[in-house]
Amino acid sequence: MVVLPGDIVPIPESEQTVRVGPGLRQDVANIVVAKAGILKQSVTGDRVWVEGNQRRYVPQLNESVIGIVTAKHVEGFRVDIGGAHPATLGALAFEGATKRNKPNLEIGALVFARVCLANKDMDPELDCVNPSNGKADGFGEVKGGFMFKCSLGLCRSLLDPKNPFLQHLGAICPFEMAVGMNGRVWVDAGTPKQIIVLVKALLGSEAVPYSKARTYVKEFKSDLTSVE
Amino acid sequence: MTVVTPGERLGLAGEFFASNGTVEVGDHIYASIVGTVTTTKSTTSGELDTIQVIPTKKTMKSSIPEVSSIVTGKVLRVNPRMATLSIMVVGDQPCADNFQGIIRVQDVRATERDKIQIYNCFRPGDIVRAEVISLGDSRSYYLSTAKNELGVILATSVAGHTMIPISWEEMVCPKTKAVENRKCAKPVAIGESSTQ
Repeated sequence: MVVLPGDIVPIPESEQTVRVGPGLRQDVANIVVAKAGILKQSVTGDRVWVEGNQRRYVPQLNESVIGIVTAKHVEGFRVDIGGAHPATLGALAFEGATKRNKPNLEIGALVFARVCLANKDMDPELDCVNPSNGKADGFGEVKGGFMFKCSLGLCRSLLDPKNPFLQHLGAICPFEMAVGMNGRVWVDAGTPKQIIVLVKALLGSEAVPYSKARTYVKEFKSDLTSVE
Repeated sequence: MTVVTPGERLGLAGEFFASNGTVEVGDHIYASIVGTVTTTKSTTSGELDTIQVIPTKKTMKSSIPEVSSIVTGKVLRVNPRMATLSIMVVGDQPCADNFQGIIRVQDVRATERDKIQIYNCFRPGDIVRAEVISLGDSRSYYLSTAKNELGVILATSVAGHTMIPISWEEMVCPKTKAVENRKCAKPVAIGESSTQ
């Protein structure tokens, strides 16, 4: 069901507690829609949320994002994550970082990080460790490759493990990808030509339904496997 | 009862001890506010009599934060290292002009000072009771809430309603039942003074 901001979501009377997800707001007695999109409900009915598509990122706790380092300070880095405010990445927020052994990120470097503090009153903060075990687990500086910007909806679908576009593209040409929830995706493949073709394929996949994935990917096969 | 205005010469610096409402410049004592001049005989011999100017209007009785005075202010902004307050009341006397105060993250509470998340203690718009620990730098006083009776005394939830404290660290919105984290001050019973 397509909903617009201001619509009241009818929650049927039942014993179970309903968790209100992103895109919805509680207004004393009613649940009101805050973002335009499609209203989704979990199978058991205990979760309600709105799936919308926008390009502007609003930092949320525990999301993985790709940022660009814009400044270096003694105590950390200023990173642009595409939100309203620049984020800070502490110099010690890396695996095995000490006062003597700090990471050496240059201005303009790409970082794959996790949002560890996000609220409406303060600038967001990032860190490059997995909070449960303190290890890097893929976070940190990302070298080489190419980063492109896309809508938040495409990022979420690229993170879906059952995404057929990724499986079919990977079968033709192996590539490495890092998806940031802030609308930024990084891709690396064998040759620059393959990277460019992959970027084009991924951007175009937003408009194609999953059922037509195989035929869509076939169009790129010749460009991805050509030798020159 | 003579009424004086700021700048009027009250006496010689050697004759009196310049107290509230007066200022000593060079050899003379001048009045600094509008009010009535009073002289009080000193209790110990050898000491000068005190001269002070008592303000005629209650609104002129403005107060200035001193070290270890209890102040009440509103949180203007928070950042990971400190919370900035606009000091509005010193003791129970409102200030004529708001002063700025800072609560550093290590002065928020007495225990576990390094594990404080400032966003779970104060938010912009909260009314906080704090104690002045230092006159600070040129921009702001340094404040502390490291006591049971200091902390957030009034806060508004995201839904816009005044919250009720339920523990040292939590406040609840009475309409939406949402719990928010704050460093709460010990509530004072009606009739008790908050400065006791």
